[in-house]
Amino acid sequence: MKNLKKTFENDTWVMPYLRKYKGLLVLVLFLGFMTFFSGGALMFNSGYLISEAARQPASIIYIYVPVVLARAFGIARPVFRYVERLTSHNWVLRIVSDFRKKLYQTVEQKASAIQRSHQTGDILSILADDIDHIENLYLRTVFPMVIGWLLYIFMVIGVGSLNWGVGLLMLLLLGIITIVMPLASVATNGVREFKQHQIQHTFYTNLTDEVLGLGDWLISGRYNDFINLQKKPIKSIAALRKRDHYFQWWRSFLVQIVILLTTLVLLVWSANQFTSSKSLANWVAAFALAIFPAVSPFVNMSQGASEWPVYKRSIERVNALDDGGVQPVEQTSLAEPFNQLSINNLTFKYADGNRNVVKNISMTIHPGEKVALLGPSGTGKSTFLKLVVGDLTPSDGQVLINQQNILSLQDVRSSLFGILDQQPYLFDTTVMNNVRLGNVNASDQQVKDAIAAVGLKDLIESLPDKYDTQVQEAGKRFSGGERQRLSLARILLQDAPIIILDEPTVSLDPITEKKLLDKVFELLHDKTIIWVTHHLAGIAHVDQVRFMENGQFDMQGTPQELYKTQPRFRQLYDLDRGRV
Amino acid sequence: MIDKRLFDLPGMKKYVVILGILVFIQAIAIIAQARALSIAIVNLWNLQSINTIIGPIIVFTVAFLARHLLTVAENHVLFPFVEKTSGDMREDLMAKIFRLGPAEIDKRGTGNIVTMALEGIDQVQTYLMLVVIKILDMSITPWLILLYVLFLRWEQAIFLFAIFPVIILFMIILGLAAQSKADRQYEGYQWLSNHFVDTLRGLPTLKQLGLSKRYADNVYEVSESYRKETMSTLRIALTSTFALDFFTTLSIAVVAVFLGFDLMDGKVMLLPALTILVLAPEYFLPIRNFANDYHATLNGKNAMSAVMDVLHEPEMSQREVLPDLKWNDDSTLKLNQVSLTYPGSKEPTLKDISIDVKGMHKIGIIGASGSGKSTLINLIGGFLSPDGQNQISINGQPLPHLNQANWQKNFLYIPQNPYLFHATLAANISFYVAGASEAAITSAADKAGLSDWIKTLPNGLNTMIGEGARTVSGGQAQRIALARAFLDPNRKVLLFDEPTAHLDIETEAGLKQDILPVFNNHLVFFATHRLHWIGEMDYVLVMDHGRLVEQGIPDQLAQRNGDYVKLRSEMEAADL
Ligand SMILES: Nc1ncnc2c1ncn2[C@@H]1O[C@H](COP(=O)(O)OP(=O)(O)O)[C@@H](O)[C@H]1O
Ligand SMILES: Nc1ncnc2c1ncn2[C@@H]1O[C@H](COP(=O)(O)OP(=O)(O)O)[C@@H](O)[C@H]1O
Ligand SMILES: [Mg+2]
Ligand SMILES: [Mg+2]
Repeated sequence: MKNLKKTFENDTWVMPYLRKYKGLLVLVLFLGFMTFFSGGALMFNSGYLISEAARQPASIIYIYVPVVLARAFGIARPVFRYVERLTSHNWVLRIVSDFRKKLYQTVEQKASAIQRSHQTGDILSILADDIDHIENLYLRTVFPMVIGWLLYIFMVIGVGSLNWGVGLLMLLLLGIITIVMPLASVATNGVREFKQHQIQHTFYTNLTDEVLGLGDWLISGRYNDFINLQKKPIKSIAALRKRDHYFQWWRSFLVQIVILLTTLVLLVWSANQFTSSKSLANWVAAFALAIFPAVSPFVNMSQGASEWPVYKRSIERVNALDDGGVQPVEQTSLAEPFNQLSINNLTFKYADGNRNVVKNISMTIHPGEKVALLGPSGTGKSTFLKLVVGDLTPSDGQVLINQQNILSLQDVRSSLFGILDQQPYLFDTTVMNNVRLGNVNASDQQVKDAIAAVGLKDLIESLPDKYDTQVQEAGKRFSGGERQRLSLARILLQDAPIIILDEPTVSLDPITEKKLLDKVFELLHDKTIIWVTHHLAGIAHVDQVRFMENGQFDMQGTPQELYKTQPRFRQLYDLDRGRV
Repeated sequence: MIDKRLFDLPGMKKYVVILGILVFIQAIAIIAQARALSIAIVNLWNLQSINTIIGPIIVFTVAFLARHLLTVAENHVLFPFVEKTSGDMREDLMAKIFRLGPAEIDKRGTGNIVTMALEGIDQVQTYLMLVVIKILDMSITPWLILLYVLFLRWEQAIFLFAIFPVIILFMIILGLAAQSKADRQYEGYQWLSNHFVDTLRGLPTLKQLGLSKRYADNVYEVSESYRKETMSTLRIALTSTFALDFFTTLSIAVVAVFLGFDLMDGKVMLLPALTILVLAPEYFLPIRNFANDYHATLNGKNAMSAVMDVLHEPEMSQREVLPDLKWNDDSTLKLNQVSLTYPGSKEPTLKDISIDVKGMHKIGIIGASGSGKSTLINLIGGFLSPDGQNQISINGQPLPHLNQANWQKNFLYIPQNPYLFHATLAANISFYVAGASEAAITSAADKAGLSDWIKTLPNGLNTMIGEGARTVSGGQAQRIALARAFLDPNRKVLLFDEPTAHLDIETEAGLKQDILPVFNNHLVFFATHRLHWIGEMDYVLVMDHGRLVEQGIPDQLAQRNGDYVKLRSEMEAADL
């Protein structure tokens, strides 16, 4: 219980939606209740019907009502069930729409416009799975449990009103399968689930490790090691599954024993209660026949409950996402056109890092200037760019545009910065739609002009669907260089004064790289450009080169100056041109 | 509806027989239970004393317990078989992964394969457990009950018998309609979940373009329109369950009503009538169970197909054609007019490649991206197999492909991102050399220029690296791969596939100094598009659109005005 409370303490993912869609929720529960009620009532009524008929009453009138009721319940049960299933699915899907939006917004708040180079999609898929889990929580645990409890209360009260002693017995007996056993299942499974999660995790990571390194395994010829590495986790998983299964079988058997006891109690009770007269005795069959359909919803309650630990993990994970939101800064817009970007004593440390990644950097950039930034990976170049565009809040110092702090200009940011990074993303839609994202108000002609400007007109028009060609998942349809060009077309439409380039050519071959860089600097000649690059191809395009080492600038100057005066620069430049 | 493959599983027949017997006994228990309950009720109905129901109640209790114990027993009987089958499947899958090799596995996606080995096989297990017993239950229990009802009163038996095909027919018709809709819906689902992940992945880009906030509504709208569509298809899908439900429930009501009329007319006694009524739900129970679990088992069925597909995937055979080999100065490798077509491609990716190598050389492979450099390296490494037979030979021995155990013992492959295992640094370095001494590892690490970095690590060589542990930069990963080469003097062939393409120029310059010494006394294939490496090669292969357009000694190629010169001039930057 304490656990439960902890899970829902700061919950924003489950409870609010239960409240939001109260009406539909009540409807689902009502329909579920009625389904089982009709099932029980059908047998109850049928038992009475034939008992009464067997008395051979004088007129058919005597059994008329039960005959009509039999048909009514016979039809009602499937209809209720059908409507219940439709309603509950509808309800859950509604919630899923809300979930997706909420998850998106939560992730959006933390996303940065400048990606880390090798970002895996794993965490995202995990989150998407969590949403599915919460969906199942309702369908497989919450609804069946609540409906079961409603029936439980109904039966106890129903029998109790005839004989409170038997009612009490029912309360106890049925309480075992509707309350005690589900709770016990959660407890047992909670412990097991923890262990299971660990074993599966080992298996999963080991196997991923093995598959990713398969080439090395193959060449090394270590077939036996490869197979043996997984033997143990496979065994543990098998043992685990075995225990799981055994537990479930015997638990179901136990449920059946309780049902048996319930049946016997009711039978003995009706033997005493209803055998004083012939007309009363007709009820014996009614009660006896109704038991099995009436208790059927209880059979699966424990199973539903035992899935709870999995759901719990998901709920906690999505709730944890909400923590640590950024403090909002009051937003303004830029008063006049961009005339100066000043970076003053910028220092930054990641919350989970132990050192300053950016150390006291200052520089001023004027419109039209082009700066290249070089340095080994991990020195903080991307971090610096994130600070410049305002994705990160500096520990010290500030970034100003025309003397206005960038943190207060976030709402108008896309009119200030155009960004091209290592892996610009193409969405799974048409070329046209993808490029238009740069400026959603652009006309078709403007989009086509932008595509022509980056030199892709001929290629796109040679495709069967031309501008309506699907780019496929993550832009697979196109090569790396082509993807970069499409993104460049987006930036042209965006038409922002400052362009940020974060190693846009890192995955391209030198010829493609050279062509792309020529294109970029030709098309964006009147813009301000901050370009992080990993080597010196195309360096002649910029007015200023800065080397970054451990969060600070060391070497700087025009490329021509550096080539003349700095041996280190000259050596690197010559190496890049193959002149060594 | 019923999966035929199930009964072809090795050893299944024996279990079917044993389970069949158990299910048969269980059906008798069900009948006994119904009969005893009815007798008890009828005695009470006749206002007889409570003593008269003790006997029937005992029979009822015993039959009831027997019935449910038999369920447990059936599971117990079947489980070892299922456990073995799924366990074997898991191990076969592992072995198959190894034999298929990285190129095939890449095609299917690492995530897919791993999920298949874990969750997929679990689903197969659940599927086997559920479906075998359910099928037997469905094919035995209703018929025994029907037989008994026939014996009690043939009119009801005929009604119950007649309704069965109607149910099946409706289930099939509606099931088929629902299935095709559900398939389409599944595609819709795929699309939606892709759309959602697509949007999440593209978030940085949306943020760059200032659209990220606005997109939240788009996410919601797409999800909502999907909901509406799903509901319309779900309505049909659920109709098939509804039909089953409707017919079975209504049949019970009809049976009750008809029995009522017959009782009034004195055509039947209460006891048989009541027994029939109690048995009617039991008669429909197996088919309802089967239908209810049908969708749940679908996952298992699909998982089983997926696993079977992988297990039946053709693999390169003849891995042992090449006799024992130790590459030395006299060894030769010949490729004669080799072409290679990727499965699913129409055009060959490598066309008529001929190479003749003897002994130790430094061979550069250059060309624009997409020209086939990686494909050629993968061919030489034996990860891909050529179109034709016996166009390759080593030391004069014709080979179907280079996926030869004895050839693979002779080389090391260093790609752009060498894979680092989740293990200690020492284990990663000595991956290829079982039982390497610590001194040897340290010396190899030193030659690869790792010692300065190792000094900064908390546990030195014993620091855990790889996924989820300490992250290793691209340059260091290359050095670890290099240390493997230094550690293993027996592997005389080195295959490099653009090892420095993604490194920054300073890191690359430093790494180069440490790589050069390993080139000595090795046969090196080095695919690259960084010009400065070409200076270190004594032979160059120039690739263009899958063809080997020029090959020779770099200085001589530079004299000719061919593809080599053209490529270099396209790559080179101007003077500053
Ligand atoms: N989100 C983050 N949290 C903690 N540390 C980070 C994060 N992103 C980057 N770092 C660390 O900050 C340092 C600089 O990273 P980065 O700016 O990406 O370097 P570069 O772009 O120059 O390669 C690295 O040591 C990196 O591990
Ligand atoms: N698994 C694959 N299936 C089909 N085609 C492929 C596959 N891998 C590469 N290709 C194609 O083969 C050609 C050569 O690719 P690759 O060998 O990677 O070139 P390089 O290494 O020179 O850049 C390209 O056109 C590429 O699209
Ligand atoms: Mg970076
Ligand atoms: Mg390649």
